[in-house]
Amino acid sequence: MNMPLIMTLAGATVLLCGCVTQHPQNAEEFRKMAPGAFMVKVETHEVNRSLREIGATFRARAPECMNMRVTTTSQMPGSYQVIVSAYKPTVVVTDERAELHVQRHHEKGVLAVTKEPEGGYYLIVADAYPVDAKRSRLQIIGPSKGYDVIYRAIIGWATGKNLGCPDLAKIG
Amino acid sequence: MICPRRIAGWLLGASLVAGCSGIKTYPDAMPKNLNIRTEASSGSAFGRMRVAVHIHQVDANCRTEYQGTVQLNEPSVQIGVPSDRLSYLVFSFSSSTFLGGSSSSISYETLLWPRAGHAYDARASYKDNIYHVEIRETDPRRSAGRTIERRRLDECRQRG
Repeated sequence: MNMPLIMTLAGATVLLCGCVTQHPQNAEEFRKMAPGAFMVKVETHEVNRSLREIGATFRARAPECMNMRVTTTSQMPGSYQVIVSAYKPTVVVTDERAELHVQRHHEKGVLAVTKEPEGGYYLIVADAYPVDAKRSRLQIIGPSKGYDVIYRAIIGWATGKNLGCPDLAKIG
Repeated sequence: MICPRRIAGWLLGASLVAGCSGIKTYPDAMPKNLNIRTEASSGSAFGRMRVAVHIHQVDANCRTEYQGTVQLNEPSVQIGVPSDRLSYLVFSFSSSTFLGGSSSSISYETLLWPRAGHAYDARASYKDNIYHVEIRETDPRRSAGRTIERRRLDECRQRG
């Protein structure tokens, strides 16, 4: 990486430190922060599956698909960047809802500018609530751009129509 | 006209590059018990998606030894994996773009203990940046098969 680019990134980091004072430290803080936050969206879907079925699919698919480390490399004239990201999914199922939290910790290539919760910054929180015995309402909170593949994967798991894993190298 | 000496030089260079990559072709020596069906698309006119399976032998101490790679270029490919012993299969989905020079790769790994006399059918798909690998075991004497649960290498180590 060349020096002007390093200086630019360092400057941007300092500016960002001034803008972002703190990140959510748990899923509940993430849910509260979402409405109106910059570059954050809330999606809601109605799903023809019970809360128990959705919870079971989250439990089966999330650790298999998201508990991983991803290395991305970008190369442009004058720069070469390697980012290593570790993803951590957490599934919590109660009678009230089935939750899926996705956290990301950058092990290499990105500086943490604010206090980072254990396991990484919260990236996405998906909650399924029961509508009736056979239907549920799925709410996904996360970044508004660049993470579409994770949203689609979570919807696929919730509906049971696509159990594939999101290619985490293609996000952001 | 191209000089034969130059062609020989290119071939030597290509073979050196192939040797340095560490990738070797999986030997086609065993009875074919694993049929792999592949369906992959990069989703972009300027992109390319390559799917491959890397086969490793696993010893009693859960140490792996790389045996070779099969490029899954065809919709269906049949390979032979040793029966009644543990193997470690790594399916890799590698995408690259013609413009911009970006590339990425994601893999799905699982242990597999093929049973003698059984047939295995794997489906590897990649579409719209979502990938899926499923392996099924069928006993030729019975019609119904079963899905083989994914087992990671650290599960082998945990069992000792």
